Amino acid sequence: MKLLKLPERLGLVNYRNQSKSDIKAHISVETDICNSTCPHKATTYTCPANCYTVDDEGVVHFQVEDCIECGTCMYACDQGAVSWEYPDPEIGRGVNWNFG
Amino acid sequence: MDEKFDCIIVGAGVAGLAAAMTLARNNMKFLLIERGEFAGAKNVSGGVLWGNDLAKLVPEYWKEDAGWDRFINHRRLSFMDEESCFTVDFKSSHFNEPPYSGVVVLRSKFDRWLADKVQETIDESDFAMESFIATNILVEEILMEDDKAVGIRTGDEKFYADSVIIAEGVNNLLTRQVGLQDDYVPADHMLTGIKEIIQFDQKKLEDRFQLSGKSGLSNEFVGFASDGVEGGGFLYTNRETISLGLVLGVKDLREKEKKPHDILNKFKTHPVIKDIIKDGEVVEYSAHVVSSGDKQVMPKKLYKDGLLICGEAANLLMNAGKAIQGMDYAMRSGILAAETIVDSKEKNDFSEHSLQEYEKALNDSYVMKDINNFQDAVHLLHDPVMTQKMPNLICDFGRNFFTIKNQPTKKARTILNESVKKHASYWDLIKVGIKGGKAL
Repeated sequence: MKLLKLPERLGLVNYRNQSKSDIKAHISVETDICNSTCPHKATTYTCPANCYTVDDEGVVHFQVEDCIECGTCMYACDQGAVSWEYPDPEIGRGVNWNFG
Repeated sequence: MDEKFDCIIVGAGVAGLAAAMTLARNNMKFLLIERGEFAGAKNVSGGVLWGNDLAKLVPEYWKEDAGWDRFINHRRLSFMDEESCFTVDFKSSHFNEPPYSGVVVLRSKFDRWLADKVQETIDESDFAMESFIATNILVEEILMEDDKAVGIRTGDEKFYADSVIIAEGVNNLLTRQVGLQDDYVPADHMLTGIKEIIQFDQKKLEDRFQLSGKSGLSNEFVGFASDGVEGGGFLYTNRETISLGLVLGVKDLREKEKKPHDILNKFKTHPVIKDIIKDGEVVEYSAHVVSSGDKQVMPKKLYKDGLLICGEAANLLMNAGKAIQGMDYAMRSGILAAETIVDSKEKNDFSEHSLQEYEKALNDSYVMKDINNFQDAVHLLHDPVMTQKMPNLICDFGRNFFTIKNQPTKKARTILNESVKKHASYWDLIKVGIKGGKAL
C-alpha cells in the first residue's frame, strides 16, 4: 500500500468554507515568542497537520488553513504563544468530517 | 424562542446527545447547540463505544442497520518490535448476541443518527415545538450572572436557561472560560490521536479479518507502533473500512522531537501491519487530542451554579490496558447530568448545592469508580518499560521460542532468561511486577 505524504493526507480532508479566501483564523500565534524565547519550537513537529513550519532561516511561521482542529498545539506550546477559539461556522475554517 | 429553557446543552457529541435524549424523555424544554454543520461533523474517535448504555438511549438499536458499524467479538493486543508482533488474541461467540458489549462507530455517521433519534424523541415529548437541536451555531460565551450560569451567547444573540450542560469536547474552551479548568493545560497527561480511514472492498475486508455479518475486531498495539514515544496503536474494523491510528503522548513527542504523521507511516511499514492493510485506500486522515486518564487533568469540579460539565470536556477518558474508554464515559455522564437537571427542575433548585448531585452520581457510577481504581494502571501503561522494553522482550522471546533449528532446543525458561537480560533487567520486571500487582 502506498504511503501518503502529509499534503496528500490533508487533501482528503473536507474543510469548511474552502471557497472563501478571506477567513477568520480560529488560532492566533504570537510567532515572536516562537522566534525569540521558545527553547523547543515543539508545534513545528507535533502538529499533525503541519500548520507550524520553520523556514530555511529557522523562522517559525503559522497558517490556519490546514488545521484539523485536533488541539495538539494547545498543549504542546507551553510558552503562551498559542491561543484558540472555536472556528466560526460562517467565516472560519476547520473541518467537516466525512467519517470522523 | 423568547422563553427560557430548562436547559441548554452545548455540543452534540456522545455526551450532549445522551443528555438531550434523557431530557427529551423526561419532557424537559431544552436547546441543544452544535457548531458543526450537523451532529458529528466535528467529531473524531478511535473508536469503539464500549458497554451497553446505548441500548438505554436507543432500545434494540441492533435491529436497525444504521448508526453503528460493527459489534466487537474479537479482541487482540499486540506487542511489537521492528520485525515481529506477539499477539494475545481472544475471540468468542459469547459476544455475538445483543446486547453487545462494544460497537465500532464512525462519528460523522453515528452522531448524526443518534441526533435523529433525539429529534424523534423530542417530537413525541410535551415540548415538541419548544425543544430544539440547532446546528451550525457557535456558542461563544456562557452567560454568567453572580457566578451562576444563566444562558449562552452566540454572536449578538443570547439564549437563557435555568441550567447549562457543557459537552464541548476535549479542547474545552468554555470550561476554561467559566473557570473550572486552568487556561493552560500542560502536555503531560495529554495525547494526540491520529487516524486514517482505510477503505477495502467489503468482501475482502470480511475475509481478511475473519468477520461474519456485522462482527468486528479491535486490535491495540504497543511497542514499535509508537516509535519510542509514550502511547500505542489501534485498529478497528468498520463496515467497509478500518480505522488505523496512533495515540501519542504530547510531552513525549515534544521531548523526542517526533512528528505524529511520520510515526504513522513507520507503523504502516511494519511487516505485519503492511500485510494487514495491503490493497487498502486511505479515504480520510484525522486527529483528536485525548487525555491519558490521569485524574490530574480533570476539571477541579464538574458543577457550578446552573452549570454541569460532562464527557471529554471533563476529560473523562481512560486507557487502563483493557480498552480505550471515552465514548461510554461520555454517554453515562451525559445521562447522569440530564437526570440531575430533571431532579433539579422538580425541586426548582439549580444551585450548586443541587447540581453537585451529578458529581456524586458520577462518583458512584462505574465511570469514576474505574478512573479512581485504575490510576496506577494508567501510570504503569505510560511507563517506558511497558511501552518499549516489554514489547521488545516479548517479541525476542517469541522469536527464539518459535525458532526450530534442528539443534538441541533450549528450555523456555532459558529463552525467557536470555530475552530479559537482553532487553531489560529483572529489576525492571520486579518494578513493573510491583506496580502491576498494585494496579490490577
